[in-house]
Amino acid sequence: MRGIDDRSLRQDEQEIDDMPEFGDDVDNELFSQILEMDESEEDRDFSAPLVLNFFEQAEETFAKMQEALNAKNLESLSSLGHFLKGSSATLGFNKIRDGCQIIQQYGHQLNVDGTPETDPAVCLKRIAEALSTVQADTAKLEKVMKKFFSQTE
Amino acid sequence: MFQDPIMHQPSGAAHQPAGHAGPDLDLIFDLAPLSVLILSPAWRIRRASSRFLSVWRVAAEDCLGQELLPFLERKFQPPRPAHLAHLTSIIDDAIASRAERTTHPINASAAVSWKIRVIPVFNRDELVSLVLEWHDGPRSTLPEIDQKEELVKPGLSTDEAFRILVQAVKDYAIFLLDTKGHIVTWNTGAELLKGYKREDIIGKHFSVFYGKEDLDIKKPQMELEICMREGRVEDEGWRYRKDGSRFWANVVITAVYKDGVHVGFGKVTRDLTERKSAESRLIAAYEESEKLKSDFLANMSHEIRTPMHGMLSACTLLLDTPLSARQRDIVNIMDESGQVLLQVINDILDYSKLASGSFTINSDIVGITSIVTSVVRGVQTSLPPSVHFELFLAPELPRSVQGDPLRYRQILQNIVGNAAKFTDKGSIRVRASVQSEDDVSYLVLTEVTDTGIGVPESAQASLFTPFMQFDTTTTKQYKGTGLGLSIAKSLTELMGGRIGYRPNPDRHGSVFWFTARFKKIKTLEQMANWKNTSTAARSERQSTPALDSEVEELQKELRIVSSIKNLLVVEDNLINQKVILGMLRSLGFRNVGLASNGLEAVRMVRGKPAAYDAVLMDVSMPVMDGQQATKEIRAGGVLVPIIAMTAYALKGDRERCLEYGMNDYIAKPVDKKRLISVLGKWLLRTTDYRKNYEQRLAEFRRQNPVLVPATPGDEAKQFLFDVTNGAGTQSAEEPKSEPSPLRAADGAVAGGLSSQVANPAAESVEDSQTMPTGTAATEGPNRTGDRGQQIEEPTYDLKTPEFKTSEITLPLPVLESNPQAGAVEEAKDFTDIASDGPRPPTDGRAEESSRHTKAPELTQDLPAETSSQQAGTVGEANGNCNLASAEPRLPIDERVEEPNCDIKTAEMTQDLPPVTSKQQASPVQEAKEKPDTAAAGPPPALVQCSVQPSDSLGKNTASQSVDVLEQPSLFPE
Repeated sequence: MRGIDDRSLRQDEQEIDDMPEFGDDVDNELFSQILEMDESEEDRDFSAPLVLNFFEQAEETFAKMQEALNAKNLESLSSLGHFLKGSSATLGFNKIRDGCQIIQQYGHQLNVDGTPETDPAVCLKRIAEALSTVQADTAKLEKVMKKFFSQTE
Repeated sequence: MFQDPIMHQPSGAAHQPAGHAGPDLDLIFDLAPLSVLILSPAWRIRRASSRFLSVWRVAAEDCLGQELLPFLERKFQPPRPAHLAHLTSIIDDAIASRAERTTHPINASAAVSWKIRVIPVFNRDELVSLVLEWHDGPRSTLPEIDQKEELVKPGLSTDEAFRILVQAVKDYAIFLLDTKGHIVTWNTGAELLKGYKREDIIGKHFSVFYGKEDLDIKKPQMELEICMREGRVEDEGWRYRKDGSRFWANVVITAVYKDGVHVGFGKVTRDLTERKSAESRLIAAYEESEKLKSDFLANMSHEIRTPMHGMLSACTLLLDTPLSARQRDIVNIMDESGQVLLQVINDILDYSKLASGSFTINSDIVGITSIVTSVVRGVQTSLPPSVHFELFLAPELPRSVQGDPLRYRQILQNIVGNAAKFTDKGSIRVRASVQSEDDVSYLVLTEVTDTGIGVPESAQASLFTPFMQFDTTTTKQYKGTGLGLSIAKSLTELMGGRIGYRPNPDRHGSVFWFTARFKKIKTLEQMANWKNTSTAARSERQSTPALDSEVEELQKELRIVSSIKNLLVVEDNLINQKVILGMLRSLGFRNVGLASNGLEAVRMVRGKPAAYDAVLMDVSMPVMDGQQATKEIRAGGVLVPIIAMTAYALKGDRERCLEYGMNDYIAKPVDKKRLISVLGKWLLRTTDYRKNYEQRLAEFRRQNPVLVPATPGDEAKQFLFDVTNGAGTQSAEEPKSEPSPLRAADGAVAGGLSSQVANPAAESVEDSQTMPTGTAATEGPNRTGDRGQQIEEPTYDLKTPEFKTSEITLPLPVLESNPQAGAVEEAKDFTDIASDGPRPPTDGRAEESSRHTKAPELTQDLPAETSSQQAGTVGEANGNCNLASAEPRLPIDERVEEPNCDIKTAEMTQDLPPVTSKQQASPVQEAKEKPDTAAAGPPPALVQCSVQPSDSLGKNTASQSVDVLEQPSLFPE
């Protein structure tokens, strides 16, 4: 945890000095609530596997999304987007959540502003773009998180 | 030397031939090109030269022998007494000094002026004659002064006067520069101001007075250049003294010309240091006072409003207690006056904020239609039945836009409130439409048309002026500050719109309209930003100290009971499961069941109907979603509190959840504090759904020997929150005072409303039109509902929930001894308690009819409360929706199914309406619950009825909707 503090990611020094900063990609308030559920800070036996599980789940979901994308199954894409949106939101991983939101929206054949997008091809294209973005974001965050948890152990 | 005889023959002498014996002095005198007058010692004209006569155009005989002064007086055109006086004094002076004297130029006429040389001629000491030589002089400047000639004191020339003046001035440095800017003159003022002695400075360049910065930018030269170009230059700035100290100077430089040739510059310098410092003191004082003012406002808005809310809440609580009619009147007056005062205070605070420009418009998601309907619904409750509301929402209105929902609501509230205030009968029509639209925004037009008293033509111009009230009569029929419309005007302008008035074209009354510009919601970022800000706003709110401490308190209490509570978490996503389980574990919960979809949850709950203390239910799940699952659970007659967890943080979502029979709502991702407050509410503050009525009552009595449901402070806080949040659409998210069966019954009403999502105002409209008691009735539950715990006090209120009276009273099947005896017993018990006297249940019918007639007047007893609740009503309505779910629906439906129960209910309704609403639920419910709790043998009919409700619920709602649809006149558009 201290290790994270030393990282350049830290934006400012507030009174919460025992709270790591992950930048705007992570809702720190929510994530800190997750961390608070650990019984000890040295051994994060709640949050560490949880976050790990999340990345496994994300990976599985991305694979399913890719399949659905290949099968041009918008409905399935929408529900997969919703699914991963739920868990990423719970952990406060905002950037991933927003990516999933986009996938969910286009899966519903809606633009992000809620207006209908009638052309399924456009939707699939947007989803493909969003998927690769969100995968990249996830990979990036996974690195950060792994580093964070490896330092606490 | 001249002989009198000669003198008396001037003309003759003039023509004497040359060569006359002796020097022909007369001839010489005449021929000399001089204007000469020779006077006797008595100033009588003795002789005049030819030249004088010709120039003055007088004949010799007109002039000789005349006294000088009267002669001149006649000749001077216009008369110039001052000049004569001057001449006189010069002559006197000449005589006295026995020397010649010359006058200043004296104007004889507009074109001619003279300098007169006065030569006194003495023979020894005797004055023998005066010779006056008249010389052409330049046009005098002095003589123009005429009577003011006394200004020029003897011995002081004009130039000298100016020189002395300039020299003596101490407060101004006045000096001349040559064409290059070197100092040529120096006055006392300059010496005092600049510290240089005359001899120090003459010949120096004036730039010595300037500071370094000014010199760097070549200010002195620039000033001279500008001065040459424009004739004059003025500057304020620091100038330096000889000793290096500086002063704030005002400097005027004027180019000086002599006969058209530039000869230098005149420079006048004033010391403004004092004024400057006074100015900065003034500015500082002003800034300070501005700051104090805004601080003051900020403090006041809090300091005034908080106790006001406290008072008002206390008033409302007092109104809920048994009062005599007279007491009630008085409390109503207090309440009403308090509301007016609060409005005045709010208006003034808003107005000062607007006036000081410190008012900001927030950016948030605005649901125009929902705001309009909720405002209409709120105001409607205060209307007499003779006024009906019409609501037109144009189909092209966007569902949500970006803007400031509170301010939009405030404007609309004001205008609709005015319409309601000034309309006794007829209609109030609210119409919202899109006036124009571009790529990024909508201009939304909102019009309110009433058939009220209208606005006299004379007052129309000043309608939107602060403190303008056109009802200036001493009776002051209508209350208010007169600030409302001016605030509305400022707000619309802040929102990029306009506001206006025109008379109602159809008949008497007014049309107030306003426009407001809202941004279109374009991108996901916008959504995300909005979500973030709303999350931030929420957490901000929740992190206020008071709420935090409440949450802490709740958490402590939860810890005590959590280990014995059973929860069920329904969540499909593993991650979310883990997190919510982790949170619950951290709160001390050890018995948490888990279902990963709705179907599983239904099976688990219906399999063990009394096992769980609360269910946390995800909404969107595979196999069966949370809403369907809730419906099924309710269909199974299980009233366990179900708390929805959903990622849709949109308003309206919650209502939908509640509609499906859920009791409360947590937005995902789940915030721990919010979880604590919701669990606290349902596990600690709500009577266990498994207990029957008697147990509840007993418990209640034990716990609340005195009725203190929530402190006035809490109420105030809630109220404050509701009001400041635009009638509290989020109130349900706040830790509320304890809900109760009555609230649940209220919820039934509210639930009915919210079930008509398409036209939320429809039912209310219908009420006010079709049922005289409608307004009061709908209002009744709302407000009583907000006072959670009081409901158990049997006699505390007299209002009748409207929906039952008409429905239930018609068919009255005879009460017989039947399987529902238990229920009847219970009902009777309750009735006894409630009415403080035993009453056989079979008497119900007779008494009932008489009570029926009473109901309307009872409701009329409390008109003031309506208005008092305006602000909060909407929020409360929403809040009540929360509670609508579990308990209420069933009983209502059962009533339809079970005539016998109905009688009970109806009877009690008449008796003690508010209690009733709870009551309605209770007997049936208890009966139904008995199987669960195994307290008594279940009467078969009741069991049956508990199985039925979901159907009847459907029917019930459907029929309501149909009613609404059958009111075409209400919604022509």
